[in-house]
Amino acid sequence: MSDRESSPSFLARHQFLIYRLFSLSGLIPVGAFLVVHLLTNASVLAGPGSFQSRVDLIHSLGPLLVPIEWAFIFLPMLFHATVGFIIIANGMPNVGSYPYVSNVRYTLQRATGMIAFAFIVWHVLQLHWLGTPFGGGKFDPHHASSSAATALQPMIVAILYGIGILSTVFHFANGLWTLGITWGLWTSPAAMRRASWISVAVGVVLGGAGLGALAGMRAVDIAEARAIETRMDDVKKMLEGKDTIPEEK
Amino acid sequence: MIQLVESSAPRSVRVRVLRQDAPGEESYWQHFDVPYEPNMNVISVLQKIAALAHAEDGQPVPPVAWDCSCLEEVCGSCTMLINGRTRMACSALVDNLLDEGDEIELRPMTKFPVVRDLCVDRSRLFRSLERVKAWVPVDGSYDHGPGPRVSPEEQEDAYPLATCISCGCCLEACPQFTKIEMVRRDDESQEAFEQRRREAFDEGFVGPHAVSQAMLFNAHPIGKMIADERMESLTSQGGIQMCGNAQNCVAVCPKHIPLTRSIARAGRAATVWAIKKLFDR
Ligand code: HEM
Ligand code: SF4
Ligand code: SF4
Ligand code: FES
Repeated sequence: MSDRESSPSFLARHQFLIYRLFSLSGLIPVGAFLVVHLLTNASVLAGPGSFQSRVDLIHSLGPLLVPIEWAFIFLPMLFHATVGFIIIANGMPNVGSYPYVSNVRYTLQRATGMIAFAFIVWHVLQLHWLGTPFGGGKFDPHHASSSAATALQPMIVAILYGIGILSTVFHFANGLWTLGITWGLWTSPAAMRRASWISVAVGVVLGGAGLGALAGMRAVDIAEARAIETRMDDVKKMLEGKDTIPEEK
Repeated sequence: MIQLVESSAPRSVRVRVLRQDAPGEESYWQHFDVPYEPNMNVISVLQKIAALAHAEDGQPVPPVAWDCSCLEEVCGSCTMLINGRTRMACSALVDNLLDEGDEIELRPMTKFPVVRDLCVDRSRLFRSLERVKAWVPVDGSYDHGPGPRVSPEEQEDAYPLATCISCGCCLEACPQFTKIEMVRRDDESQEAFEQRRREAFDEGFVGPHAVSQAMLFNAHPIGKMIADERMESLTSQGGIQMCGNAQNCVAVCPKHIPLTRSIARAGRAATVWAIKKLFDR
């Protein structure tokens, strides 16, 4: 317990604002990024070329990519996760005594938040930053599908991804429902019941996209995908005037 | 009244009570064998325990302490955990409880400091009502004249909220409302202790009952004159933002008050209030 004679902490004085920014950050930018990210990845189902062209579009940002990543993805997510852990630490789940549906959702919202955190940290270290030491290898933006397929081959990696994706999707979809109450979008019990269907729809679509992307990546024929990606890369280099198109063999 | 006593009715009821002799002391279980009668409620079970004056093993024990008054679910004083769930002892019927299991378990509320046995100190619940100014400000010795008109629709909307009995069930079941127990220091006056305790209470979540009362009085034509003060309170530390939408409060409220509607309305009012504050200052 804090010293009552001292003035309240920064967190205490701005609690309302911080919690509302936390709530907003779950939707924008973190939630919006999640939607774009899962749908982009699901494009692998239309073939490695389709996924590669979307990755190329993102990487056309060039040197701006890293600052954009930090400003709109990593920092907001770290903020959301930090406040999220504080909220979790201050609550006292009691689903054993009160096993009502919304209480189960409350408890799952916290559990999936923590799973999402562990998963995202691992996922970013493995595919984005460090690669192999975290299992399966690193993502190569010039060889999008083949490098992702290689990284996701081990069965244990695939299973952990499945759990991570579904937890994150549940967290976001159910979070939309609580967000609507937090900001006062739906206020009557009937409206809340209807709004639950939004969560179900978002959950099914994003869950499908996420698992589809995972299965799609793993099903990629790595050698064939590599060939397609190398050709696309050569075309890019040629268009940038760095190289000439190689002779057909 | 005609009693249909089923032949399968038990002769006695086993009751397990979590007892505590004084604030801050260890609690302990005690078992009682209470003679069964049809249509008993938990208060009559406690009365029989007091009359028995001995535990299941025949040992003489001091009677279990509990609170009650109205015996008809309007005073809100008899809240306790019955078979693990918060509810009113006076309206908890033994015949229904025996459907939940062979034994009846009685425990004091866990979110308030225990005074003795099943009696708890719910000062914080009332402090929360002060924090959100849950009243109509009409103090004064002069004649205020006739009150403003309220449409039947508004009355219908407000009435359920006005039935709150301050029982604290919603707070007990709320996972976001956690216990604050303060102990008076030896060198501290009662006033100093109460001041320190108030400050501690004011850092915690006000709770769903207070959010709902704030919405009730913000909708009242005279009550709304201090609506801004209530919004200020609801958006300060421990305000509406502490709710995590578990919605247990509405599920356990013995008066079926639409607490989650009040919470969402407070959320909406807080959104508008925050925007107004940002641009109007
Ligand atoms: C992909 C990443 C994430 C997304 C898209 C996301 C999205 C959301 C959304 C939309 C909400 C609803 C906000 C509201 O009710 O007002 C929410 C709530 C929550 N998030 Fe996240 N979140 C993510 C990651 C995390 C992480 C890593 C944690 C940390 C453990 C976390 C902890 C929480 C908690 C505890 C809540 C419930 C807050 C409450 O109801 O009071 N979230 N999240
Ligand atoms: S809806 Fe809010 S106030 Fe009600 S039990 Fe859940 S967290 Fe507590
Ligand atoms: S809102 Fe319901 S549960 Fe809460 S104190 Fe009032 S009557 Fe009791
Ligand atoms: S004795 Fe009054 S509510 Fe139970």
